[in-house]
Amino acid sequence: MSLLVLKNVKKIYHQGVINVPALKGVELIVEKGEFTTVFGPSGSGKTTLLNVIGCLDKPTEGEIYFTGDNIADLDKRYLAEIRRKNIGFVFQSYNLIPVLTAYENVEFAIKILKNISSREIKKRVFKMLELVGLQGLENRKPNELSGGQKQRVAIARSLVKKPKLVLADEPTANLDSKTGEDVLKIMLEMNEELKTTFLFSTHDPLVMDYAQRKIELKDGQITRDERREELDVFN
Amino acid sequence: MFLIKLSLKNLMRHKRRTMITAAIIAWAIFFYITFDSFLLGMNDLVFQNIIDYEYGHVQVANSSYWENKDELPLKNLMFNNEEINKKLTEIRNYKAHAPQINFQLRLSDGINETPVMGKGISPQETLNVLNYEDYIVEGRIFQAGERKAVIGKRLADIMKLELHDYVTLLTRTKSETFNTIDAEIGGIINTPNPTINQNIVLLPLDVVQDTLSVDNMVTHFIVRLDDQNFAPQIVEEFNNELQGMDRNLSVYSWRNLDEVSITQAKQSGNNFILFIVLTIAAIGIINIVILAALERMEEIGMMKAMGLKEREIILSFVLESTGIGVLGGIFGCILGAISVYFFSLYGLDFAAFVDIDMSTFGVPLISKIYGTWNPDAFINMFLFAVFGSMLASILPARWAAKKDPVQAIYKR
Ligand SMILES: Nc1ncnc2c1ncn2[C@@H]1O[C@H](COP(=O)(O)OP(=O)(O)OP(=O)(O)O)[C@@H](O)[C@H]1O
Ligand SMILES: [Mg+2]
Repeated sequence: MSLLVLKNVKKIYHQGVINVPALKGVELIVEKGEFTTVFGPSGSGKTTLLNVIGCLDKPTEGEIYFTGDNIADLDKRYLAEIRRKNIGFVFQSYNLIPVLTAYENVEFAIKILKNISSREIKKRVFKMLELVGLQGLENRKPNELSGGQKQRVAIARSLVKKPKLVLADEPTANLDSKTGEDVLKIMLEMNEELKTTFLFSTHDPLVMDYAQRKIELKDGQITRDERREELDVFN
Repeated sequence: MFLIKLSLKNLMRHKRRTMITAAIIAWAIFFYITFDSFLLGMNDLVFQNIIDYEYGHVQVANSSYWENKDELPLKNLMFNNEEINKKLTEIRNYKAHAPQINFQLRLSDGINETPVMGKGISPQETLNVLNYEDYIVEGRIFQAGERKAVIGKRLADIMKLELHDYVTLLTRTKSETFNTIDAEIGGIINTPNPTINQNIVLLPLDVVQDTLSVDNMVTHFIVRLDDQNFAPQIVEEFNNELQGMDRNLSVYSWRNLDEVSITQAKQSGNNFILFIVLTIAAIGIINIVILAALERMEEIGMMKAMGLKEREIILSFVLESTGIGVLGGIFGCILGAISVYFFSLYGLDFAAFVDIDMSTFGVPLISKIYGTWNPDAFINMFLFAVFGSMLASILPARWAAKKDPVQAIYKR
């Protein structure tokens, strides 16, 4: 069973009397463990696509199967439940909670799940921060971290609950290209290590090259979908 | 648990904003507590005036008389005999007692006439119970058997009467026939109690008994204790004992006095202030929640993306506001305590501030008002601050929590 299946997904925004079609019948299948990028010009619908997949927004039309269930028409309470357990988010602007330390920001995502012992929580949070290369910085507040470090906290936060899917909307857009590449490498490592499925959007050709699979979106439609078996970024 | 931690941290995020809102709540509480203490002090003063110049601490009367006592009847009187006089001295914490007759009277100077209340008193005994002695501003108190009256200063002013003037006092006897007493004004009294000053003519008990043809009967006894706080207890203890002697008699405590206009004024004044306090607190809280929500839009969006439920987000705001309410409540109670402490120690010369005639409330202008401690006010105001803050935050918190996550994250 595929992790994600989109059938004829359309999204139309209503701006006053004008209808803005952001997605015009997207067909897409994403398998478990994939590391996929969605790229395309500004306004092509990348954010809209990720939000619709991530249960943050509902499609106007079409079906979205997440682990086999159609989530397109679910009530927002169920959608919240799916996000809580199964989907991790990374955004361009990090969206860390400024009053919480790096450790607490990561902890937050797992604390809201039930039935995990506090020992297990502690173990997983420390492990996650270590995996993204932040050991020793656990007690820093977001304003004491660099952009790249913040984004790594955000990645740790999205992964700590062991979600089935991580959606990252332009995770490197606020970072310089070197830092951006580092962040991408971390994501890729996590993908290999934890077998978590990643779907991220970007403008940046350098960043795109890390993906196994590249999907091009233009004007709300998929215009290209290519896979590459071998990755040489670690060489 | 995590939400509580988050709320506490958020509370400290804008220390100044939190403190200002808490300070507003604290100020409102402080104001309420001070005002409440002032009104209670005024209330105490009113009671003290009634106790010291009219009532004593407890009274003994026929219970049927008591029910109609405001009409000043001459029915259901009681004997002023040795037995009752002895019995009264057996009251616990007893200090002094005196017999009295209250009766209807019209005071005339030959031209004008005014209805007043006559009080037949036995002078020496009465001075032991009521505090008249220091307030006779002209002349002196009469002796038993003298045809002399003591009247209030205000009554004297209104009727333009002076010491040694003669007045005619018209009354009805027990058998409903008219009778008069011609008396010389032997003294003028000016107590802090406006009723005494304006409405009462004091006369020797024996003269009154004679005029009313009530033999050796009186309407009631007044009793002074060495501590006014024992009065309610004594009523309970002594009633049985008294009724063993005469089933018709009962003891009444000053505590049973109808709390007059002052209490109503107090209640409506307090309610008004309470309303203002709550409004101020609510506006402060609503304001702070909206500001916080606007500023944390992206965080709220992230929390929603992480799958937090709306009610969890609401809860985090409500907890934060409740924290502000607790802070405000604590500071307010501390400020209130300081204010009441000084107020009860040094008092306030009310006349110096407000130029209204408080005598209609039974508050004499010559007295200072002292604050009174009222623990209930502290507890209630604290709870009001906490629960008020909690309730006030719910609506704006709901508004924040219902934001669409996409719009919140992308600030659209
Ligand atoms: N809330 C909205 N109301 C109206 N139109 C919207 C709304 N959100 C997005 N759109 C429109 O939908 C289209 C797709 O927007 P989207 O943000 O998905 O593009 P994008 O590929 O993410 O662009 P960018 O690279 O600039 O982030 C655009 O034309 C945009 O103007
Ligand atoms: Mg976008």
